Amino acid sequence: MRLLKHGEKTRSFDEGKARPNACKRLRARLAKSLSRSVGPDARWVRRHIANCPRCRRRLVAIGRVDLALRIVQSQTQPLDLLMRANTAAVRMLNHSLRDAAHERRLDESRPEPSLLQRCRKYENSTVNVAACVAILLLTKAGLFSSFHNARTEGHQAMKQYYATQAGQDLADELFQS
Amino acid sequence: MFDKAATYDLFWDSAACEAVDASQRWILTAMQRHGHELVTMLWRILGNEQDVCDAYQTTFLHLAHHDGGRRPRRLKPYLFRTASNAAISMLRRQMAERKMLSNVADTEVDARDPGRDFDARYLAETLRRHLAQLPIHLQDVITLRDLGELSYAEVARALGISVGTARVYRCKAVQLLAARMNPGEEQ
Repeated sequence: MRLLKHGEKTRSFDEGKARPNACKRLRARLAKSLSRSVGPDARWVRRHIANCPRCRRRLVAIGRVDLALRIVQSQTQPLDLLMRANTAAVRMLNHSLRDAAHERRLDESRPEPSLLQRCRKYENSTVNVAACVAILLLTKAGLFSSFHNARTEGHQAMKQYYATQAGQDLADELFQS
Repeated sequence: MFDKAATYDLFWDSAACEAVDASQRWILTAMQRHGHELVTMLWRILGNEQDVCDAYQTTFLHLAHHDGGRRPRRLKPYLFRTASNAAISMLRRQMAERKMLSNVADTEVDARDPGRDFDARYLAETLRRHLAQLPIHLQDVITLRDLGELSYAEVARALGISVGTARVYRCKAVQLLAARMNPGEEQ
């Protein structure tokens, strides 16, 4: 490595930004040297693993995971799988997107009942009120007193009939109440 | 590495494009561009053709209905993450169903058989089973990195974490998988 003279600057320092390739190279070199000195390939690590059953077991377990990952990665898919997946997805999308607008409208739609249907829940109370009003009106018009008169007169006519046919005593006894 | 994708130009030019509304063509473009990588990742996670097709459909259905049909800002990470989530959910469901059929005891006994270490299918199945049981943050990283073959930068962008965190999570995921795949050996 060349030493810098007093006042001299490196190019990267001078430009104020590091070159990406140089950084990448530096990182790779660092990783390599780190792996060589403290990674699983380092001589002292190997020597330790050879003598330590616990570390060996751990390394084997991690190796097994690595192997399983590689096996899964190497499993080849059927050649027409992509085509089939695409066809099914496009068919589903076509269906889904075509109906999406209708579905959204249906989702947002609210029931719009007619006036009659909306008033149906008041039907019973309305009928009751109407009946009360009718009774009041009929009372006001004197219909009930007319009914009463008709009933009293009918009663007297019947009493009269029994008196002529069966005698006054029996008629009095029958219509006493 | 991913295999070179087969070209389905005829498929894309004709039926597919006619079928989908013009405003949603970007979904087809995404399917064309990332479909092969997605199918490969789903195949690695699920290992079953029908499940792959189902998870693939779910992914694009999510995409089509994302934010009222708008294109996500980062399409590739969105697609990979959605697909990974859909696949893991399916794996978990299958595991629950299998558990209900009570074959778990037999599997646990088999796990201690050293001869099975060389059974590739068994190893892959074991990995899938334990992958679905990992904590979500570790699961996301190992799925996207090792099965989706995204770079650490892409994984970090997809999950909204730093590259360093993604590396640490992957390391933790491997350690946890190692501990769970070899229950008797880790002390």
